[in-house]
Order: sequence, then C-alpha cells, then structure tokens
Amino acid sequence: MKRVLSGNKAVAYGVMLSRVQVISAYPITPQTTIVEELSRFCAVGDLEAKFIKVESEHSAMASIIASSLTGSRSFTATSSHGLALMHEMLHWAAGGRLPLVMVNVNRALGPGWNIWTDQGDSLSQRDTGWIQLYCEDNQEVLDTIIQAFRIAETVSLPVMVVLDAFFLSHTSEIVDIPPQEEVDAFLPIFERQYRLDAREPRAYFGLSSPDYYMEFRYKMQRAMEDSVRVAKTLDEEFGRQFGRTHGILEPYRCEDAELVMVTSGTVTSTSRVVIDRLREEGVKVGLLKVKMFRPFPMDEIKRVLKGIGKVGVIDRNISFGHGGIFAQEIRSAFCNEDERPMVFGFIMGLGGRDVTPDAIEDAIKVTLHNERPMEEIYWIGLKR
Amino acid sequence: MAGKIIFRGESEMPLFPVSSGDMRWNRTGTWRYIRPKYEDKTPPCNAACPAGVDIAGFIGLVAEGRYEEAWHLVREENPFPGVCGRVCFHPCVSSCNREHYDEALAINALERFVADRALALEPKPPVRNVRKEKVAVVGSGPSGLSCAYHAAKMGYPVTVFEELQQSGGILRMGIPPYRLPKDILDKEIADIEAYGVEIKTGVRLGTELTFEDLKDYGAIYLATGAHVSRTLNIPGEDLDGVLSGLDVLRNSNLGKEVRIGGRVAVIGGGNTALDSARALLRLGGNPFILYRRSRNEMPAFDEEISEALEEGIEIRYLVSPTEIIGHEGRVTQLACVEMELGEEDETGRRSPVPIPDSRFTIDVDGVVVAIGEESDLAFLPEDIRVEGTMVTTDTAARTSRKDVFAGGDIVTLHRTVAHAIGFGKLAAISIDCALRKRDVGVVLQGIQVGENGSISVAKYLDELARRRAPHVVVYEELNLAYFEHQARSERARASVPERATDFREVIAGFTEQKAVREAERCFSCGVCNDCENCYVFCPDLCVIIDGGVVRYRINYDYCKGCGICIAECPRNALSVEKEAK
Amino acid sequence: MKIHIPRDEFMDSGHLACSGCGSPLGLRYALKALGEKVVIVIPASCMSIIVGPFPYSAVSVPVVHVAFETAACSASGVRASLDMQGDEETTVVAWAGDGGTFDIGIQALSGAAERNDDFIYICSDNEAYMNTGIQRSSATPYLAWTTTTPVGNVKEHPKKNIMAIMADHGIPYAATACVAYPEDFIRKLKKAQGIKGTRFIHLLSPCPAGWRIASDETIKVARLAVETRIFPLYEIEKGEVYALTYRPKGIPVVEYLSQQGRFSHLTGEEMATIQETVDHQWGRLAEKCQA
Repeated sequence: MKRVLSGNKAVAYGVMLSRVQVISAYPITPQTTIVEELSRFCAVGDLEAKFIKVESEHSAMASIIASSLTGSRSFTATSSHGLALMHEMLHWAAGGRLPLVMVNVNRALGPGWNIWTDQGDSLSQRDTGWIQLYCEDNQEVLDTIIQAFRIAETVSLPVMVVLDAFFLSHTSEIVDIPPQEEVDAFLPIFERQYRLDAREPRAYFGLSSPDYYMEFRYKMQRAMEDSVRVAKTLDEEFGRQFGRTHGILEPYRCEDAELVMVTSGTVTSTSRVVIDRLREEGVKVGLLKVKMFRPFPMDEIKRVLKGIGKVGVIDRNISFGHGGIFAQEIRSAFCNEDERPMVFGFIMGLGGRDVTPDAIEDAIKVTLHNERPMEEIYWIGLKR
Repeated sequence: MAGKIIFRGESEMPLFPVSSGDMRWNRTGTWRYIRPKYEDKTPPCNAACPAGVDIAGFIGLVAEGRYEEAWHLVREENPFPGVCGRVCFHPCVSSCNREHYDEALAINALERFVADRALALEPKPPVRNVRKEKVAVVGSGPSGLSCAYHAAKMGYPVTVFEELQQSGGILRMGIPPYRLPKDILDKEIADIEAYGVEIKTGVRLGTELTFEDLKDYGAIYLATGAHVSRTLNIPGEDLDGVLSGLDVLRNSNLGKEVRIGGRVAVIGGGNTALDSARALLRLGGNPFILYRRSRNEMPAFDEEISEALEEGIEIRYLVSPTEIIGHEGRVTQLACVEMELGEEDETGRRSPVPIPDSRFTIDVDGVVVAIGEESDLAFLPEDIRVEGTMVTTDTAARTSRKDVFAGGDIVTLHRTVAHAIGFGKLAAISIDCALRKRDVGVVLQGIQVGENGSISVAKYLDELARRRAPHVVVYEELNLAYFEHQARSERARASVPERATDFREVIAGFTEQKAVREAERCFSCGVCNDCENCYVFCPDLCVIIDGGVVRYRINYDYCKGCGICIAECPRNALSVEKEAK
Repeated sequence: MKIHIPRDEFMDSGHLACSGCGSPLGLRYALKALGEKVVIVIPASCMSIIVGPFPYSAVSVPVVHVAFETAACSASGVRASLDMQGDEETTVVAWAGDGGTFDIGIQALSGAAERNDDFIYICSDNEAYMNTGIQRSSATPYLAWTTTTPVGNVKEHPKKNIMAIMADHGIPYAATACVAYPEDFIRKLKKAQGIKGTRFIHLLSPCPAGWRIASDETIKVARLAVETRIFPLYEIEKGEVYALTYRPKGIPVVEYLSQQGRFSHLTGEEMATIQETVDHQWGRLAEKCQA
C-alpha cells in the first residue's frame, strides 16, 4: 500500500511491521516523530509492544540490551548527542552479540547546538561493533529496518539504520508499505537460545580474563566479515519477496567511468542528478553509493572500483586530525593493491549545510582536472 | 555442573560470555590462616555441680518440651533429681552466668520440675552385662544409694545395708517433709531398687553385720554419714528437755513423739537448726534460734533462713549459751553471753568472741542443740585409717584397705546432699576400675567436668559422651546479642498461716509453661544447642547441617576462616585454631 | 532466640568475596526469600566479581552483568520482555552497590521509580566504592576515612538519604535492611515480592576491608549500626506510611564508631556531633512512624 510518509514515519512503519516487542527511547530532535508515532501505534494497538519511556538514551540502550537478552525483539531510535550518550552501551550491545536494531537520524554534534544533518554522530561509533547501513530515501528506510532485524538475528550483531536529519526524517516521499503477512514471511518470530530464563539459569556477560577476551573479539570480527555476505543474500531474498532491492553498494553509471564519486545518504540522490547531467556533457563520471559502512565491504568496493583511475569521496563528516571517514576507508581498501585509484577527499555539508548540485559538480571538476589530490582535504562550500 | 572448564579453541567458546559451570572448583579454603572448629566447652553450672549433672543439657531438653529425656539425662549422673531439686544448696545457680545479665536460672526448680513430671514414669533399667563381683554398700543415705545405683547400672549386683528400719539416711531422717516430701524420696529410692539394688534395713555394720560377713563381696562402700550430734559441753546438757536437732528431726519425720514443746531455744545456725525450729513450730511449739555469729556466717541456706523469719521464728545473732539451768531435772532457763566477731577462723569466717559481762538468761521450756554432727567410726577395723572423726581416703575414694571405699559425710566437711551423691558415683567408678584392673587415676583425669572435682559417669561409660573441653565458659565469652532480658519465673509458695500448721511442702513446683519459659532463659554456655547462628551467618555456605550425631560441620574446602561463626555463636561453642601450613 | 531462615540455597561456595564480606550473605538471604524464579541484574560492583568470572556462576539463578549505571533501566528492560512473554512468575531483581545506586546509577533508578517499573531493587550498601579500592561515594558516612577522603580531608558531607529520595518517588514499597537481621530482611523481601511496582531495599552490608574491622566483626558491627539508630530498620509504603520493624536499643554511637578503623581519627567532639545528628534524625523518623 503506497502512502506519503516522512522518513520518521517510514521508520515507525518498519518497526511496527517487524513486530518489535520492546521499545525504549528518549526523544531528541529530529528523531522525535519516530517515538511519537510509535507511541501512537502502541496506544491504538497497532503495535503490541512495551514502550519504556526512559529518562535518557543511555538507559534506552541499556534497557533494550536487557530486554533482547531476555528474549524480545527490541528497538530504539536516537540522534546526535543521544547516540553519543549511548556510546558506552553500544559497545555493550555488540559485545553482548545482541540482535538489536537502532535507527539513528544523522545529526551534527555540538557545541554549538546544531540539529541539522551531519554524519559525525554515527561515524563516531564506527568502532563499536554495530553494523551500519545508510539510507538514501524513505522507501529504503522502511525496507532496511525489516532487513536489519533479519541480518541482526542471523549474525548476532546489532544494526544501526541511518537516515539524514530533515532531508529524510521530515521529508515526505511515496513509500510502499508492505503487507504484514509478507513481512512475517520474511522476518519470522524472534527466538533465541541463550536468554534470561529461570528454567535455565546462567550468568551472562561476566568478567572475561585475557584468557578469553580476545576470542570473543575475534568472533565478533568474523561475524562482521560474514555479515557482508549475509546482507547481500538477504537483500536478494527481500527482492524476491517484495520486488525491490537496495544492495549494500550501488554503482551508478560506473561501467566506463574514468572517475567515480563515492557518496552516502541523501547526497547520493542529489549526485545522481549531477552525474546524469555531466554524462550528457560527455564526462565519464560514475557514482558509487555506499550503503553498508560497517562492515566496510572491502572486496565489493575493490571489485566495483577496479581499474578506475580516480575516486572522489564526499564526506559529510570529519575525523579530526585525519579527514573524511569514507575517504579513509576507501584509501585503506586499496592500500595493498597494485592498482590503486587516486582518492580525492571532499568534505561538505557539515552541520546541515546544503550539498547542492553545484557543490557536487565542483568536487567532480577538482577530481577531473587534477592528476592527484593537491590537498589532503578539499573543503567544498566553506566560507573562507 | 562442577570442575574447571577448558576451551581448546575459540570454536568451543560461546559467542558471548555466558556461564556453563559453578564456582566449586575454586577451593577457597586455601585462603584462610585460622580455622573455626566446633568445640563444646564446660558450662559453669556443670562444673559447679558436685553430682556432675549435665545441667545445660537437661535444661536444653526442657526448653524443647522433652521432659522425659531431660529426666533420663539428669539420672545419667544423679538418681535424685526430685530430692536435689528441693534440698540442694544449688551452686549451679550461684555460678550461673545469667546472673550478670538479669537473674540466674532457677536450675533447682527445673530439676525438680523434671523429676515431678516423671513421678508416673518407670526408670527403664537397661539390659546390661551382669558382672560377677558383688558390691556391698553400707548406709542408705544419698551417698550410699548413689553408689548402689551407679554400680548396679554398671552391672554389679548390689546390696545396701542400712542400720535403721527405713532407708534414706539424712534424706528421710534429717530433712523435714515441708522441704522434702517423703513420697518423692520413696519414689526415687524405688527407682534405684528397680535396677536390682537390694536394701536390707535393720542391719548395722558392727552389730548385726561384720566385715567378715562381707568377705565375699568384691568391694565395699562405706557411707554411714554423720549422725552423732555434737554437744555444747556446758552444764545442764543432760537435763530433761534438752534434745539434739537430729533427734527432733528424726522423731518428727518418723511420726514419733517429739518430747519438747513450748518456748524452745534452738542453738545453731545450720540447716539442722533451722529445720528443727521450723519443725517445732509446726508441731505447735514456739521456737527461736540462737546463733553465735551473724547472719552472714550462718551456714543454713538463705531461703531457709528467710522462710523461717517469715514464719515468725526469731533468730538472735551473736549469742552463745553458757549454761542450761533446770529445776527438778527439767530445763527452765538458758544462760547466754553476747558475742562479737573477731578474726577469721579455718573456715574463713570471723570467730565469735564473748563480750565480757554480757551474761543474761532466757526462760525456756526446752533446748535443742544443733551445732554440728560427727561420724561414729567405732565399727571400723584398725587397718582402715581414720583421722579424727573422718575416714582417710584418696582422690578415688579408696580407704587404706584394699577394695574398701568410703565417701559422703564420713570423709569430708563439704556436707551436702550433692557432694554425697558425687562421692557415691566416684566410688562406683573407682570400684569398677579396681575390679577391672584399670588405672583409676588416668580414668578420673579423663572424666572431669570443670576443675572443682565433679566427674561424669556418662563419660566414663562412653568416651564419646559429653565431649567438652574443660575450659569453663565465663560471662565475657558469651555473645549476648541473641538474648532478651527476662526475669526468672517465680514459683508459688504456701502462705505463712498455711505453713505453720502442717508439714506440707512450702514451695510449689513450676507449671509446665513456667518451666519452659525458664529453661528458655538458659544461655547453654559452651554447649551447642542447635541455634544455627553459624549456619545462618556463614557468607560462604560452609556450615553443613548433617542432622546426624555430629550435627554441624565446617566445609574446610571452602571455609575462608573469617571467624564470623565463632563470633556469632552466642555460647562460645566454637573455637579458633591456627591453620597448619 | 533461634533465627529461622528458609533452608533452600541458591548459591554455592567457591565465590570470590573477601573473607567476612557481608554482601554474599545478603544475596544468600535474598535468594532464600525470593526463590529460584528470579532474574538478577548486577551492575559493576563487588558482586560482579563475587559471583565468579566467565564461564562460571556461583548462583543457580539467571544473572546478567550490566554496565555500572544501568541496574535499574536494565531491570526495566528484563521486566518488559518478561511481560511481553506473559511471564507473571519471574521476579526481576537488581542487586547494586551504593555507587551504582546513590551516584552513577541514580538517574536510571529515579527514572524507573518514576515509571514505577516492576522490579525489586536491592542496594547492597557498604558505604564506598569498595570494588575499585575504597573510594568515597555519596553513601559514605560523615567524617569517614576512604582512599579519596583520607585523614586530613575526610568525608565532609553527610550520607545521602536514599530512602527519602525513593519515598518521594511515591513507590509502593521501600525498606531498610541489614545483614545482621536476616529474618527481617527476608520478611521484607517476601512482602515486596507480593507487591507490584518499584520496590526498593536499602541493605547495610559492612565491608571488613573498607571499614577497617576484622573479618569476624561484620555481623557485630552491622548490628551496632542498627542498635545505635544510625541505620534503623523500617518500611515506607506508598511513600508515606512509615513503620519501624525493629525497635533499636539506642546504644551510644561511640560504641559503633570506635569499632571501626575508618573512624579511628574521630575526636570526642566529632563523635558528639554525630550523636546529635543521629538523635535528631531518629527523632524525625520516630515521629513519622507514629503518624
């Protein structure tokens, strides 16, 4: 059934269709309409779930860790400072191998207070062991939540589904809401073997000495590596079931490209327009949308960008003291390869500054007209 | 789930930390440097009891409502709970640690309660191996009967020879019924006879019976007591109307006529004097007591003195008679002098010294002399050594003649029923050792209760019985947090008008409810009574309740030696040991 | 005066508590009171270590170890899941120290209490961050020595009144308890188990190492805390109705303070001040218990 939904409302529908059983969340702009919509679903009975109106995001994550371990499919949503506050618990959730799904609305971190879109919040959490999936449009948001539970419950790692503040969260688009029975067919009832159960008493998450800790971390890494394959397989299955796929990467017009721009989030949809225009002008430029940031799909990236001479990465984020984070990841993917593209790192759109088609075109031009990057970081749109 | 868990590789490990075993592989006993152990110690009451009764033990049973078992436990050591509960000078009560907390336990009343409840019960003599040697006991007072009882329990055929027509000795002849009803005495003697003890009355050693007659007996126990009244050695003692206290009591107890009445001066300060006065009162007389020292020095029991005073019997202190004055052969007056207290004598009491020119006279109808008793030892052959009027014995009750033993008032100045009973028991053990050729000195060392000479025959018969360290637990060694103040239960007493007219028992016994309440006050010093504080307060779950003979034990595999069990035991029934490394 | 506690045990020897620690004793009593249909939530605390490391557990009921400040909200999460599963029998219990309750965990506790989330929260209070080495917490008593309030700079603020805070949340049941009074503690837990909503027990549990007492003095000192009225045993129902559950003797506080090395620097004047404060607070509590 097609409806006009904001990104946040699409999240709510995704959560409802996924038959989430325990929600625990704390409001923060621009996530608020997610929790409001979910509250309404619970109140009218569309969603049978316990919704704990916790007093902070840290408690939100802690409580769904506990509810998930006890055996309930659990969910939270947050943004920016709320995610930052959760940081300690993100480690706990991943180390606990809990199949949680969290939606993070990408928003800038202060000071000064900034409620607009920026990838700094989610990318700051990239080491925590969460799978991270970045969405381009509201349909993808809804679909990805459903897939995320399936991925999480398969590999026993939590998944963060990311959407841009306001550009998706508060922007309405046409979204096809799948029927409940079809979602049930794709996403079965959640059951877990090791859970808090008085009939089978065990102690969970106890002190792990140097004799054991490394093996737990090794297992996490292996699960992360395996989730590339799992995500792809499930996406294909999703496609068969619902007639749509989103992939973990999406190359766009890269077949004979001399240079490829790498983007994520809503910058991708703006970039598609720019790519088309430049192609018409004869520029052999392509676009690579990166959806799965964690794990970073090294092999897929290398395969898609093989033989491409230049890559321009658009980062709506920065790792201070280094540079754009997607750019770092791309560079490290190729570091031991014989054939490596030149990687141009572009930082734009921080704190919600609009990433316009012109800005994207500027970045493409810089990439086109330079043999190698002349700067470690190209700041596009900065007021100098 | 037990034992250490080994993972050979990451593939054997779970995805996240989750337990699959317990902590029992971790034997935390290696942590400690001291270890607790269960060690019962000696309660002061047990140590003080000359009859060696397991007082804390029997009181614990009363507290649980197990009265019959309590009775049997007392009778392991002392066949006369009904008697002692009434007449004993109760050193147990004087030594009771509870005295420092609120009031000492009324142990004597509890002993009496247990005996009185058992009046309808049979003593159940056990089947035992009959020994071939016969034992002769001379004297059926408390000492003789105690020896007979214990010897019979050990399997010896026992014959008791009693010179009077009725058995019981001082218990029957010396103590009036208002303190010791005769049916109680009869029952307890019958219970002794039930063990096969034969009592032959009207047989006097030295007259109807000779030592030659006793040559077939394996051992002889002499317990003839002290029944010869001391005399004042003043003029007029041979006048009519002058009797000894013993004579007054004997006749009174046998229901025979007491040949004095009216205003009678009773000379003396011991129980005999008090009993004589109180008996005369009940027979219609008007007695008063003269004592040469003050109340502090009076040997009579405090309660006796108080009761006598309640009954209106006047006691005049610091008075000593000098002459009995008569007319036509009958006493009419008593001349006395006043005394004052001087230096301490050999008993530790201050000596009375006459005050010069203080002579005065009192008109009297009779005089009772009750200034002490001595033994008549004329019947003894020369080889049985005697010193003064007491038979010489060693610490095992042996006289100088082989296989002849002696005890009770003929060997000691500690002349109490309880001591006499203790001696009888000692003699029985000593006899058994002699006949089995065991070293009685070694034996006696192993069966001491405390350090006052009390012994336990239960320990003699079974090494494992009453295993208690000899240390006597003092008040400071108790943990009083687990007790609440509670006054002693009181017993009813007959009113003075009631008492003056007949020989009914003055003090009633406990009701069941009061007995249990009183028994529950017992600290059970040094003796575990299953309160389970150790079990409750062990943080490491190392106190195992076995429910067997050894009811509690420490699991030393895990005990960390914190010592909480020792500290929280209310009664010091645990001890600390250094851990051997 | 025999102490009667249920016989069943739900934990075993071999655990890692220090010799004489009050905390495993408290847990032992709690498990006896509540039985085996429980889930215990344990935040960072001594108890995290006491029950044993992976892959072992010294208790025979389910346990989840959680981050330091999350005892209450984790308990809320467990409860939410059990409710969704239709489980009406399992009791959720949070077992936190004073650090995880009074300080870093107070936000989550307040949030859960305001929502009246359905679990029993037991604060095992040894009056400092003992697990990390005896550093002060807001539960550390006035003038006590700790490693972060050494002599010369001892704790200058009074102990936070956690019971008043919990009462003012209007939770259905709050009570104090003490490891030296197991029957009282067990009775309170059984009573709490029959009540729905947030139930809070403040359990005093001495730490020999941190209080500087001998390992065998734990129970004696705990008892003195109650008998001196420093830590009275009482209940608060619905945040308003106060009831004393044990009438203390009113022993002078010096008897308690002089037993412990952590107070050995106190002057007579300081002890007198403490006595005054205790008398005053006792007076207020006594009034509330009458009303």
